[in-house]
Amino acid sequence: MAIEYRKGNSFLHNLDARTKLMIFVGGTVIAMIILDPLLMGILFLALYILGRNAIEKDVLNNNLKVLVMIFLTFSLFQVVWFTPQDSYFLFYLIPWKNWIPVTVQGLIRGAAVFFRFFSVVLAVHLMLYTTPPVELALTITERDKHRTFLATAAVVLVLGSIFFVSALPTATENNVFLGIEQTALKLAVLAFLCLIFAWIALKVLGRGLPAEMGVALMLGFATVGIMAKQTEQITNAQKARGYDVQPKNLIARVKVLTALLIPIFLATMQRSQDISIAILSRGFDYNISERTYRREFTFHRQDYLVLAVLLVVIIGGLLMSRLGVNSPTETFILNLLPK
Amino acid sequence: MEYDIKFDRVSFHYADSESPALKDINLEIKPGEIVLITGPAGSGKTTLCSCINGLIPHYHEGLLEGTVTIGEYDTKKVRVGGLASIVGMVFQDPESQLVTNSVADEVAFGPENFGVPREKINKRVHKALEATRMTGYEDREPHTLSGGEQQACVIAATYSMHPEIYVLDEPLANLDPQGRAKVLELVTDIARDFGKTMIIVEHALEEILPYVQRVIVMDKGRIIRDDTVEKILKAGDVKKVFKRPDVTRLAQSIDIPGFPLHPEDLVTKMQKKYDLNRIRDTIMHERGNGKGDVVIEMENVSHRYEAGVNALHDVNLTIHEGEFIALLGRNGSGKTTLVSHIIGLLKPTQGKVTVVGYDTVDTPTHMLARHVGFCFQNPNHQIVSFTVQDEMKFGLKAHEIDESEYQQRIDKALKIVNMEEYADAEVFDLGKGQKQRIALASVLTLEPEMLVIDEPTTGQDPEMTDEIFEIIKRLNKNGTTVLVITHKVDYAAMYAQRAIVLNQGYLKFDGPIDELLLDEELMQANSLELPHITRLAKQLSTYGVPANTVYYDDMEIYLKQMVEVQRGN
Repeated sequence: MAIEYRKGNSFLHNLDARTKLMIFVGGTVIAMIILDPLLMGILFLALYILGRNAIEKDVLNNNLKVLVMIFLTFSLFQVVWFTPQDSYFLFYLIPWKNWIPVTVQGLIRGAAVFFRFFSVVLAVHLMLYTTPPVELALTITERDKHRTFLATAAVVLVLGSIFFVSALPTATENNVFLGIEQTALKLAVLAFLCLIFAWIALKVLGRGLPAEMGVALMLGFATVGIMAKQTEQITNAQKARGYDVQPKNLIARVKVLTALLIPIFLATMQRSQDISIAILSRGFDYNISERTYRREFTFHRQDYLVLAVLLVVIIGGLLMSRLGVNSPTETFILNLLPK
Repeated sequence: MEYDIKFDRVSFHYADSESPALKDINLEIKPGEIVLITGPAGSGKTTLCSCINGLIPHYHEGLLEGTVTIGEYDTKKVRVGGLASIVGMVFQDPESQLVTNSVADEVAFGPENFGVPREKINKRVHKALEATRMTGYEDREPHTLSGGEQQACVIAATYSMHPEIYVLDEPLANLDPQGRAKVLELVTDIARDFGKTMIIVEHALEEILPYVQRVIVMDKGRIIRDDTVEKILKAGDVKKVFKRPDVTRLAQSIDIPGFPLHPEDLVTKMQKKYDLNRIRDTIMHERGNGKGDVVIEMENVSHRYEAGVNALHDVNLTIHEGEFIALLGRNGSGKTTLVSHIIGLLKPTQGKVTVVGYDTVDTPTHMLARHVGFCFQNPNHQIVSFTVQDEMKFGLKAHEIDESEYQQRIDKALKIVNMEEYADAEVFDLGKGQKQRIALASVLTLEPEMLVIDEPTTGQDPEMTDEIFEIIKRLNKNGTTVLVITHKVDYAAMYAQRAIVLNQGYLKFDGPIDELLLDEELMQANSLELPHITRLAKQLSTYGVPANTVYYDDMEIYLKQMVEVQRGN
């Protein structure tokens, strides 16, 4: 089943498209920095609950089911190959040959890998299911030229604090950082530099796609449905002419594909020509740099809440690794086990 | 601000064409005029429209001579986007113009391009949807709307750009009668209420003439007539180029002055001028009996799409060999779903479909295709080859017909569709009408017992429509069972023996088409428009005129009988 936008009025549906994009980006960052299976399991569960409230259970599960096997394989690799020295040995996977030892650490990290991969994929699914593609395209398009001072300051501050936390170990572990020895001064310089970097990053990344590309992307998304319908009509037309479109023979299948490709290709060409004429006739080249947009993107209370949670988790994750508490679950379980 | 349109000695050659599409056009259209442009396919109407909104010379490549000016702007010097703020264009196929994911986005697209502030865009969207009676459709996906709604959406999208000039290129072609009436009313309301210039390209003169002030007739790239409606009607027909509405021609044949366009108008004028006689005798037409063996049998067939839409409800239908059946109903009534069952493209969710004895559930479509030929609405979806020869051989190869039979079958099929001289042509050089005929011919090479044809006349001029129906009639006479989906009730009435009417998936009528024509209530309920000749016949039924008369020639004879004595014959 295609992962496509489904209308709804859930918490996720009502989030701003940018927030959902940030859930995906933030989710990926979190999956990279947090190694604890329990924490990742909680994150996965939270995302799954959000998803269940937003779209039908069958639709959500059908597409995730396929991935369970793939991610379980990844986890198995982790379990099988991750055998650090001093790991807590449990058993051999092939006992008669004493091959492939399975360890407690291996199992815990395998579970973490499973949830880390799954959380990222689920975040993408949720974004695609609950955001109209047009909005996704517009989120990454340059729209408002004049961002207010407050908005700029807020984004720079958030980005800056993430940079700051991630750079903290480098600054504090070395005695001399940029020629400075005093800790307070080191931190102040680091904070200042992080803010500058955050501002530059915002200027570079915050520009988004040029309007031409953004609108093209939007039109592309809108065309998918029509092209799918057209392809179905073409396939039906060939079937109705007596063409066996699903022969058992593989070579015959390739031949069939060629026969279908010609009309599909021509229909696509025709569609692109139609779109060019339609958008030109509706003033697309009037003055593209001054183009405006009907769709308004505004952050509401729930967006700030989600972004704050993401921020806290990311900074928390960074601090955890800074403090060397990479996987409290692992430590806890190992403590329970007899030495 | 007001903008007039001026063509000064304009000629245009498409880059890939040998002959000019427009030749020495001189034309002036004043602000606020409502003008109809008509003429056969390929006469240059669309090219003329493309010159007005600047697609020529900025998009379509070719050589433009002379000057086209819109107000003070020379179209050669202004971008299409600039002209779009003055000239709004609506094309024939609404689906091809819908580019976004929701109706509101579609309507906002133009104003967004013009840099209109967000608040004003929202106001414009609201007003445009209100003017086109599309309020409530904001979040609908354009490609899920019916044809009429899609065209209304395109018109709303043009309206929201606040153009001074509207150019509508065959806006009614793809619509059912209900959709046509809606769109026609919409555009003329806009023109009249806001004093906008309106240029409409159309073939459906009966419908459109009451709304326009001026008519331009084009042929072979030239304007051959340009005058007021009355003067154009007075000047008479131009063979194969311009045929006045039937009612007007009938009026002239019995010396009724004033060029009536509607049957009611003609009857009033006849009653005023003559003491009408009762007609002496009626004309009978032999309609094929079509009662051979059963070809198609549908028993309690229902179909439910995956999305949960019930498209057919408990349909029972038997089609016999040799029948000529018209399948009628408004857009979205289930016609295509029904015929898709005949060829096995869809399987019934309930009930049973048998095609020449084969149950469609167990028989693959490519096997059924040996018995039932299917012609789709859009020939481009069907054609898979670059040359006519290859295209004709495609089906023969698929069915493993003996190679020695190829040429004889191809020649025969091309002859039936009058395309013998195109046997070696490239398919994509052909016009839409010719492609339609090639698509039909390629189906005919397989010599199917039954033909199913989906809307064979969409976007074709009256000459081509006549030709297509004549071809189908010939095939039927030679024994092929025919099922045609059409919106053209007049053609259905002239050619078919039996009519099937669907409404929201329910079979509402199945019987002789003559009977359907007499059931005014049923016709109206299914958005079927009574042909003008039949409307006239109904009005004159008290004088003995059969109320289901459909042929022009019959009606002319009846009218002459009715007024005979007074005219001194």
